[in-house]
Amino acid sequence: MKFKGFLKDVGGASRVARARLEAFAAASAEPVRDDPIGDVARAWHPGRLKLKVVDIREASPTAKSFRFVRADGGELPFFYAGQFMVLDFEIGQSLISRPYSISSAPSQARGKDGFVEITVRRSRGDGFICDHLNDDVKVGDAFTALIGCGQFYYEPLRDAKRVVALAGGVGITPFASMAREIAAGKLDADLTILYGSVASNDIILKDELEALEGPRVRVVNVLSGDEPGWTGERGFLSADLIRKYSQGDTTYFICGPQVMYRFLREELGKLDIPARRVRFEVFGQAKDITAFEGFPGDLKDATFRLTVRRGIREDVIPAKATESLVVALERAGIRIDTGCRSGECGFCRTKVLAGSVYVCPENDGRRAADRDFGYVHACAAYPTSDVTIKIPIE
Amino acid sequence: MKFYRDHYDVIVVGGALAGLSAALMLADKGLDVLVLERHNLPGGIATSFVRGGIEIEAALHEMMSIGEKNDRLKVGKFFDDMGVDIDWLKVPEAYHASLPGLEVTLHPGLETFAKEVDAAVPGTYDRVLRLLNLCHTVFDSVNELSVHPMSKPMMLLKHEAFVKTAGYSTREVLDTFDLPQKALDLLAPYWIYVGSGFSDLPFTIFAVLMADYIGYGSYIPRKFSHEMSLKLAERAEAMGVQIEYRQNVEKILVKDGKACGVRTARGDEIRADYVICSAYPNKVYTSMIEPADAVPKDAIKMVNGRRLSLTAFSVILILDRPAEELNIHDYSVFRGDTMDTDALYRDLAGLGPYRYLTCICHNYANPGATPPGTCSFSITTLPRVDGWKTVKAEDYDAVKHRVAKQMIDDMSAYYGVNLLDHVLEIVIETPMTVARYTGAWNGCIYGYAHTMQDHIVARLQTAEAEHFIDHLEFSGAHQISGDGMGPAVTNGRKAAKNVLDAMAKEAAR
Repeated sequence: MKFKGFLKDVGGASRVARARLEAFAAASAEPVRDDPIGDVARAWHPGRLKLKVVDIREASPTAKSFRFVRADGGELPFFYAGQFMVLDFEIGQSLISRPYSISSAPSQARGKDGFVEITVRRSRGDGFICDHLNDDVKVGDAFTALIGCGQFYYEPLRDAKRVVALAGGVGITPFASMAREIAAGKLDADLTILYGSVASNDIILKDELEALEGPRVRVVNVLSGDEPGWTGERGFLSADLIRKYSQGDTTYFICGPQVMYRFLREELGKLDIPARRVRFEVFGQAKDITAFEGFPGDLKDATFRLTVRRGIREDVIPAKATESLVVALERAGIRIDTGCRSGECGFCRTKVLAGSVYVCPENDGRRAADRDFGYVHACAAYPTSDVTIKIPIE
Repeated sequence: MKFYRDHYDVIVVGGALAGLSAALMLADKGLDVLVLERHNLPGGIATSFVRGGIEIEAALHEMMSIGEKNDRLKVGKFFDDMGVDIDWLKVPEAYHASLPGLEVTLHPGLETFAKEVDAAVPGTYDRVLRLLNLCHTVFDSVNELSVHPMSKPMMLLKHEAFVKTAGYSTREVLDTFDLPQKALDLLAPYWIYVGSGFSDLPFTIFAVLMADYIGYGSYIPRKFSHEMSLKLAERAEAMGVQIEYRQNVEKILVKDGKACGVRTARGDEIRADYVICSAYPNKVYTSMIEPADAVPKDAIKMVNGRRLSLTAFSVILILDRPAEELNIHDYSVFRGDTMDTDALYRDLAGLGPYRYLTCICHNYANPGATPPGTCSFSITTLPRVDGWKTVKAEDYDAVKHRVAKQMIDDMSAYYGVNLLDHVLEIVIETPMTVARYTGAWNGCIYGYAHTMQDHIVARLQTAEAEHFIDHLEFSGAHQISGDGMGPAVTNGRKAAKNVLDAMAKEAAR
């Protein structure tokens, strides 16, 4: 339709207003609540869910696998193999959360009988929650959890088809999920897991992983201890060993204890691997913050006053210099949202209003503008004076 | 001890650009304001995130209405006036247009732009400049009239070009300039930022878009759009605004026909004299008002009588080479195998292949955007919600990857470099991502489609009749000024002004 000479027409404004009102008058008066795009977002990320433990079984002499389903019988969310879930605990007056890599496959979470599993090893005396899970938790116990967090998963548009996983200790769990997903034909990748343990009875999920071996999944156990009779690989996950099991374009996924990360950064550096082919799982909460450069050593026994503002409310709690702000809050029973506890995900983003903190350099995943305005990720920030913070109301 | 005061003057639902701008303006007038934001940081999609130690812009391509330091446009001036000091970086060009038979880089400045179009399509200078000047005249009128409404005879006297083009589509007005197709193509790339094909796009909207972007250029904050969102939030808090994150408002409470507070998912009931809401009217009128029967039928008819505009699909890549080594030479490339905007708009209702892509390499405006030896490169399409509404949760990942791969492959072919061989980090943002983080109705980021019947000129005229619940104002892309981060600020200020006007009226009574 052409309006020759329209520049003489001055009625346009009235005409469009009339058209608008006519369209509204002709519209239905029935409320339409359909939000299918939001529904998909909620199916993947429903927020915290109530889960219950339906099965506990041994994954090694020192580790157990815990199987969860939704307490309300609903469907579990979608997630990627390699991601973790955050599990919430109430122990005494403490409100504690922990991230655990999901060791079951995403496809096992589908359907009415879907489940998720985590596999947790008893600590060597320093893992309060790991021991609590191994010793106290029983079938039927209920938890709240956030499923499907983190960036440690196979991304087909980024990663090579061939994947070599470098696992240490309980760091096998995300690879158990990937191996299961590949074996189920749901993930298109070829996976070789180089799994370092001290002794053969430390190997977690040994039988279950061996059962997954096939054309696309291979598991190579590597023992660092001097175990007589072991015919497999020995030593650490060295550059030579990695080279031996690599073939062509490969993406390396690494998950294990912090000492292994330091070791592997060096070993991988000896190989000619592009940066984009190396993916580390998050570092985890620093085991000993006093060992990091720049931490004020004279504060190692100090405890400060931590003033916590939530809305217009203020609470004052003690906070040790050697424990993160998150730990101080959890001890005091003040809920704070946490995810990776490695400074990366930012769930525990917190504003420091007064006082000073030390941020673990290994775990400083902040946005630039956040740094400028005194925001920290509370899981990676340690008080070095009396401190006032503001956190969300949970 | 309680978390909230017993009463606020105004509760703002949603701490993105619109809500924060409203809060700032109200705090500036001395009002007690509470902002409730569902996410754990401000900004909505005006944000950033960190992957592999690299900070990545989530959404902003180019901020309009900022202007040079000493010659600010309205959004830049508002930020300055409020003491929100943003480190703006000027985007070096308008765009590189990669269209059938055209590879042309165009720069801001009306005359510069017309000259560059003329160089590509000789003999068009006068007509293109005349068109851009018409756009600029309309732009000036819209800016003035949105602040100072006037009678129709006065409008005709002072804003003739605006009045005479108000009832016509972009296509109808462009046709009168008798330009060759290639020149028209070079004028069209920004259409996607207003999201309607030219047959349905009101010329007024096109004029404002072109005058603002081409006349004055565009900007980005040095520390990504999170710098902008955070500085707005920090300034608001410094002015006494209480901002609470991770608070999802589920209900807007209405009593005696007036909004009087909200209830959050946590169960907090908080009272206020006024509520400004960034949620879509579709969601508010169909499921957030309590009691539900406080919603008049006309409000439902109003939302049902409108068409949702565009949502977003972006593939953001951090690449392991400097941009120039990958043949990427521009801040922004708009690439299409046709510039028939009506046909492209129809395609946007599907799930790809998307034929019109907008690519941004932040490093060309912000060399420090990524670590040395790397660059950031995003490929965006802005689909309509229709196609994405049909995607099931179990198919979502496959659809997302299929669409992303098509977009990467298209741009790889264009640059002659397989971008997939250089991916350090990849983030795929979808309509579902928008819905997840912002709660936006159907993941829509553009509010309601600009059409010949849902037109800023019409919206202004009928605004009063569309005010269905007293003491409840709306802010966000679904409001009068429409979509985009610049207009978001304007929409927020308008909501605050409506509250202030209503307060003044009631005080006078």
